[in-house]
Amino acid sequence: MADNTPLAAARRHRLLAAMQAAGIDEMVAYGNGWQGDYLRYLSDFGILEGHGIAVIAADGATELFLDSAAEAERAEAEAAGVTVRLCGDVARAVGARLDRGGNRRLAAAPRRFLPAWLADAARGFTIEDGTALLDRLLMHKLPAEIDAIRRAAKIADDAYGEFLKAVAPGRRQYEIVADLEAYLRRRGCPDNFMIIGSGGKDVFGMAPPSERRIAAGDLVTTELTPAVEGYYVQICRTLVVGTATAAQARAFAIYREALEAGIAAAKPGATAADVARAENDVFRKFALGDYVTSKYTRVRGHGMGLFADSKPHILEDVDTPLEPGMALIIHPNTYHPEVGYLVLGDAVVVTETGVEVLCGTPRELFEVPA
Amino acid sequence: MRRGLISRSKTELPDAVFDARLERLRAAMGELDALLIYTNNTRPAAVSWLAGFIPYWSEALLVAPREGLPILVVALTFRVKQWIERTSRVAEVIHSPRIGIEAARMIASRKADAAVGVVDFDHLPAGIADDLGEAGPRLALSDASDLFAMVRAPADPAEIMLTARASSIAGAALARIEPRDGAGEIVAAVEQEARRSGAEEIYVAIAPDLVRDRRLLRIEGEPALGRRFAVRASVAYKGCWVRRAVTVDRDGGGPEAAQAAFADAVARLPGDRALSRFCSFLVEGCRTAQPLEALMGSRVAEPRTPVAGAVVSVQALIAVEGRPVILGAPALVGASSETASIFP
Repeated sequence: MADNTPLAAARRHRLLAAMQAAGIDEMVAYGNGWQGDYLRYLSDFGILEGHGIAVIAADGATELFLDSAAEAERAEAEAAGVTVRLCGDVARAVGARLDRGGNRRLAAAPRRFLPAWLADAARGFTIEDGTALLDRLLMHKLPAEIDAIRRAAKIADDAYGEFLKAVAPGRRQYEIVADLEAYLRRRGCPDNFMIIGSGGKDVFGMAPPSERRIAAGDLVTTELTPAVEGYYVQICRTLVVGTATAAQARAFAIYREALEAGIAAAKPGATAADVARAENDVFRKFALGDYVTSKYTRVRGHGMGLFADSKPHILEDVDTPLEPGMALIIHPNTYHPEVGYLVLGDAVVVTETGVEVLCGTPRELFEVPA
Repeated sequence: MRRGLISRSKTELPDAVFDARLERLRAAMGELDALLIYTNNTRPAAVSWLAGFIPYWSEALLVAPREGLPILVVALTFRVKQWIERTSRVAEVIHSPRIGIEAARMIASRKADAAVGVVDFDHLPAGIADDLGEAGPRLALSDASDLFAMVRAPADPAEIMLTARASSIAGAALARIEPRDGAGEIVAAVEQEARRSGAEEIYVAIAPDLVRDRRLLRIEGEPALGRRFAVRASVAYKGCWVRRAVTVDRDGGGPEAAQAAFADAVARLPGDRALSRFCSFLVEGCRTAQPLEALMGSRVAEPRTPVAGAVVSVQALIAVEGRPVILGAPALVGASSETASIFP
């Protein structure tokens, strides 16, 4: 079996120290292809299919339980230093493993995703909620994690350049995404989260690509989220097919001002709510306050890392303090009643004095030939 | 996280297909007042089979009452309501961050002590199970996985047609492999072809050097390819998943002998004696929510024999004159007097 990568080894060392400080003997992490960050932190395995549960003991011994045979084979090669167990019923296999452990203190993250059978009070063991402990580690990143995020941001910038080339009248949304994904694979980037929107005032958000064809005058929105060594970084931009109208340019200027306000507010000591409020105040200044509510927008940004939509969510009711080493996307994406859905967002890392902006793509309303 | 084409074609999946599936399910529900099915983008198969909905992200619960179309309770926001309605056949889409609370409340409002069958109950996320108990304390919840699996198999004509399309996409994608290319270019070419053909998703895995290691990996960076390597494409098309795998020999040696042995062994499904003579094999299929669940194989401790008429994906590692060959293809398991057939 191969050695741990330096990054995985550093994470594991940090996790074991945190477990020891909290008096936890064994940590259990659940993951699937939707949200696999907790699992990856423990096992360094990027799961795609089925259920995965990792159990790490205080001495660092890690077992990974998977119910997909294809994934188990892959994990044996990709997850160094981990014992992989293929099992038809992950919940009962992990239950049997925990039953054998005797009187030890167990914690799980995220507990709400654990299979119900495993979390049931009828089991012979009690699993505490260890989500907060692991959330702290996921949010406050090591220098090596930030380095992976910087590399992913460079790829995100380059990929947006490819997106500009791929968008043309008559092309279907899913054909554009196919080209983008191929570009990323050529760059050696194994994963990306991406949604897209195209049209005008009829578009209220982004979704997976559809058969809709790009047309002259469309606003085309996307968020690209490539990953390097499991770390996702996002960029959000909008383009116009043809020449931007005065209304589109005027609207876009508000989003740029909001993004800049959000970036200026992000610094150690501020909270996620402060960033959201700074973005939203710009919209309120232009009498667009209705469009920063949950009817039109989900979040005003979010954390980034081993999950594309990590904590903290940038919302006016989230009081998580920002600290150096946190990676965020700040994106005042929402609907504009004059022109439709617009997006603009940059990835940042919180530093000792403010933030380092990772995205180098200009904050422009881009134009491509109609 | 899906980023391929998720759309519904009423030609490929007309309302009558979903109505017939619902009918079959209701005929088997016995005393149950409702069926409850969880979905997320890694366990979407049960809900997509019944209502077409495939979440690209997030999670949902489908409530199938004894009468009427199912109701979808989604954690996705209101902004994507139109997209959900376009891609699903449901009576109503309800948005709630606490889908367990909302679903239980809805069922309990009709009958406080309703008997509710939950597909894959034991693996329901604990937070949702807690919410069901909180909002529906008198609901009688039970596992309905076997019931659902029994109803779902064998495949109906629509599923067979969609599987054939998925298989065709995977085959065309793998045909884009240029043996002299590097790993990144091969993955890009295969993935691009599949996505341009309308695949909902594709995962490409490569065993870079079969002489040294037979395991199929996800590629990050640019690993060196050996003289003989294998590529597997796992492709989804409108909710139907298949895996196809090929072995590429840069020296030009064709795997014809292995292909013949593989086809012969697959034809004998659901029996696995012929497959078990290979170095290793794996048969996967969909029973409930996981699109490709391990049914039989060299490493499968508790095998489940696929039923006649079920769609499966088969993969085998075969040694031909000491040289390893990995092959994989989807197949339709034959009835008792018929041989199983590989999808082209």
